[in-house]
Amino acid sequence: MAGVWIFAENHERILELLNIGRQLAMKMETRVCALICHKPERAEEYIRRGADEVLVLPPLAGNQPLDAYIPVIVEESKKADPDIILISATSRGKDLAARIAARLNAGLCSGCMDLKFDEESKTLIMERLAYGGAAIQQVTCTTRPVMATIPPKAFEPALPEEGRQGQIRELPAPSPSAVQVLEIRLKERGTKDITEAKVVVSVGRGIDKKEDLALSRQLAEALDGEIACTRPISEELHWLPEELCIGLSGVQVKPDLYLGVGVSGQVQHVTGIRNAKVIAAVNKDENAPIFKVADFGIVGDLYDVVPKLIAELKK
Amino acid sequence: MPTIIACFKWVVDEAYIRRGSSGELDFSSVDYKISDYDRNAIEEAVRLKETLGGSAIAVTVGVPASSRGVKDALSRGTDQAWFAADDTFGHLDSSQTAAILAEIIRARIGQYDLIVCGEGSGDLYAQQVGPRLAENLGIPCISFVQKLTIDENRLIAERKIEEGIEVIVAPLPALVTVLPDINIPRIPGVKDTLMAGKKPAVTIKNDELPAAGKVLLQTIGLVASRLERECEKFGTDDAEIGRFVGLLRKKGVIG
Repeated sequence: MAGVWIFAENHERILELLNIGRQLAMKMETRVCALICHKPERAEEYIRRGADEVLVLPPLAGNQPLDAYIPVIVEESKKADPDIILISATSRGKDLAARIAARLNAGLCSGCMDLKFDEESKTLIMERLAYGGAAIQQVTCTTRPVMATIPPKAFEPALPEEGRQGQIRELPAPSPSAVQVLEIRLKERGTKDITEAKVVVSVGRGIDKKEDLALSRQLAEALDGEIACTRPISEELHWLPEELCIGLSGVQVKPDLYLGVGVSGQVQHVTGIRNAKVIAAVNKDENAPIFKVADFGIVGDLYDVVPKLIAELKK
Repeated sequence: MPTIIACFKWVVDEAYIRRGSSGELDFSSVDYKISDYDRNAIEEAVRLKETLGGSAIAVTVGVPASSRGVKDALSRGTDQAWFAADDTFGHLDSSQTAAILAEIIRARIGQYDLIVCGEGSGDLYAQQVGPRLAENLGIPCISFVQKLTIDENRLIAERKIEEGIEVIVAPLPALVTVLPDINIPRIPGVKDTLMAGKKPAVTIKNDELPAAGKVLLQTIGLVASRLERECEKFGTDDAEIGRFVGLLRKKGVIG
């Protein structure tokens, strides 16, 4: 059966892919098939939310990694010959997608932000960022299936519809793996999810020392927002946890207000704030690249400006 | 003693890309570099070699001018380098790059224990060459690794996933892609650069390689991304600060 296949490792990502998968399938007049490995009891729900078929991957053995599913998915794909395979761009999803693409000798658009089915040429035109976010690259696949990885939260979750019907089928269990998972250390709770914040105050290298983060925290508090940072602050200096690092290989945020404090505005960081409603910045270097992408920029020393901002906000 | 291979790409330094007047990308004043993430890959290979003995080999595919990158990789501590060079190697598909790398590793290098790649390249950041290369060679692939240990004939890798850290054990030979958090790449000194010139580096021409296969992902457009912003600047006196905060309130983005 041809159609649009989707695969994601958890519920939220499955719903996002069902939404875009359904949109594409309607234009292409084909079906949506969801491959799931997570909570098979939700198969009916996925049918209500847009799947015509749900293929259930049997549970992994205790220490098997997710990539044990690769041969199962590849075999099924060779039989069913889908038009499109969309995979959620989580860490494991990206890995899985590239390796499935290699085995199917298929093209894969990584980090696909947008896809449109061109009815005239019957091709799927996909968009992604390149050069650290400085460019938008448009791509098409030259072979079947067309594959893409979709960044988490790029699409809204699919909504349920009444009266939808579909089939549920179980796929063969994966073979034993040579690679094993020794343990999974869950992230400490309490780390803020800055992707949901309405206001993000991001600190960059313009901050002289770790203690001075307090000043930016006060500003974040005055704005009722969360603190975040650029890559050097989390990775080289370890002043803040990496969960708070915004950028191409970090977190993408979409707050109402992004305020960069001592942030120079390197393209990789700016890529992570593209979807902010308003971008503001404080930097003493008038020529800092951040001012080219900011709505409102204060040219001045952050140690002078930030206290003034806090005072003004408290008025 | 292990043979460790580090793959790297010689890329445009994206910081120098300008936006042309009609939205095209202006590469006229760019410089090139070893892709940032690949510096971590090279560093990790060299560190493992320094701890365990054996050798660290750099491999790249690119246009002839990438030979500057070969020298850079050698000055960063690798012992030898393999370089597939051709004028047409500037815009290869991930699948083609992986096929050429696989060919060099299989036919020229032969025996190896570990391949280290960066998590993605600094230019296209498709994050596919590593996993595709592992598939071509039929070896385990562990991507997004932030800590790596070699223990006898297996590796233990801590890879970053959304929920936290997944600790993986895999038999060697295997391929890992590494995150920037794994190490801080060294900056080569004058002595390192001088020594690099004396290390063996083999250049392989296109006609010495089997065909790399067709393009699977076709680029049909490449334009500068636009951030349409107001770009209004403010001073630091009280009136300006007041105007700044006032505008944010007017936009409804703060309470």
